[in-house]
Amino acid sequence: MPLFKKTLYSTDFSPLAEVALDYVKKLKEAGEEEVVVVHVVDDLSVELPDGTDLLKEEDVYKILPEVDQEYLINLIEKLNAVKEILEDEGLKVKIYLKYGNIPKQIVSVADEEKVRLIVMGAHGKGLLSEILLGSVSTDVIREAKCPVLIVKRREE
Amino acid sequence: MLFEKVLYPFDMRKASLKVKPYVMKLKEAGCREVHVIYVMVPSEWGLLSREEFDCEEKIEALKGTMDEGFVSGLLKIFRKMKEVATEFEENGVKTRVVLVPGELDETLAWYADKYGIKLIALGVTSESLSFFRVGKILDIIKAVSQPVLIVKTPEEEDGEV
Ligand SMILES: Nc1ncnc2c1ncn2[C@@H]1O[C@H](COP(=O)(O)OP(=O)(O)OP(=O)(O)O)[C@@H](O)[C@H]1O
Ligand SMILES: [Mg+2]
Repeated sequence: MPLFKKTLYSTDFSPLAEVALDYVKKLKEAGEEEVVVVHVVDDLSVELPDGTDLLKEEDVYKILPEVDQEYLINLIEKLNAVKEILEDEGLKVKIYLKYGNIPKQIVSVADEEKVRLIVMGAHGKGLLSEILLGSVSTDVIREAKCPVLIVKRREE
Repeated sequence: MLFEKVLYPFDMRKASLKVKPYVMKLKEAGCREVHVIYVMVPSEWGLLSREEFDCEEKIEALKGTMDEGFVSGLLKIFRKMKEVATEFEENGVKTRVVLVPGELDETLAWYADKYGIKLIALGVTSESLSFFRVGKILDIIKAVSQPVLIVKTPEEEDGEV
């Protein structure tokens, strides 16, 4: 059964999201073939329409101040770095950089891409380090139609 | 070994069966052992001290303290879980079937740590995650230190197994 064939890896580039990447890699042994890597930004100085595709819609960069442009370029580099890591594992990879409500965008990419599983951390870059389950994870668990793998700490 | 030992909480509902094929599939990614667990919550079974009921004899022994109907209810659950476990065994995965009294989140967290569990696989209904029933599932995810795989079933497809 192709249960893990196509997965979505949602990352805020936090240490725990990096741990989640180990699980994404490991799932290849259970039939994973393709990974959709997603990062969502909600903190630009200009308000954009929810769901703006920041990889495809190049025109929006014209209305963004330079700080935002640099910030986004840096994120694209990080996404490409993840893509390379997964491609080295022999996986097919697609990256997304979206603007909007974070959990909503993650779930909407999951739906569009018809992924079989979402892999993400239990918390991330939030300010409260003692948080047990972040707001993004909580909302994705509630809203996603597909299974979700919530990664906690690194395995010793 | 990220998926070596899996804890599979089972509660006699179809929703909890939905996660089974996923756990089965994880064998290919290194799953060697599955612990099928039923947590006897106090609201349903009364207050009992923590103990691992992993064979019929131990459950039968409850007849002294517990209503007979309850005991046969537990035996029925245990046998159903054994059935589920057999499928894993036939697939070359070691299993343990166990009933443990306690609150859901605390008991799963305690058990998972005690047995070096690497992943907890939860089959839940979408409704159990709704705002009206906040808590239960999210509390488990918060309480445990292992990764959690959540597989949802729409409410209307749920029911007793
Ligand atoms: N902007 C994002 N884009 C993609 N994935 C994200 C993003 N933010 C969080 N995630 C995913 O969600 C996981 C949990 O992060 P979450 O934001 O829920 O926790 P937090 O930052 O600790 O808490 P909060 O954001 O509620 O203060 C991360 O490990 C990551 O997988
Ligand atoms: Mg966050």
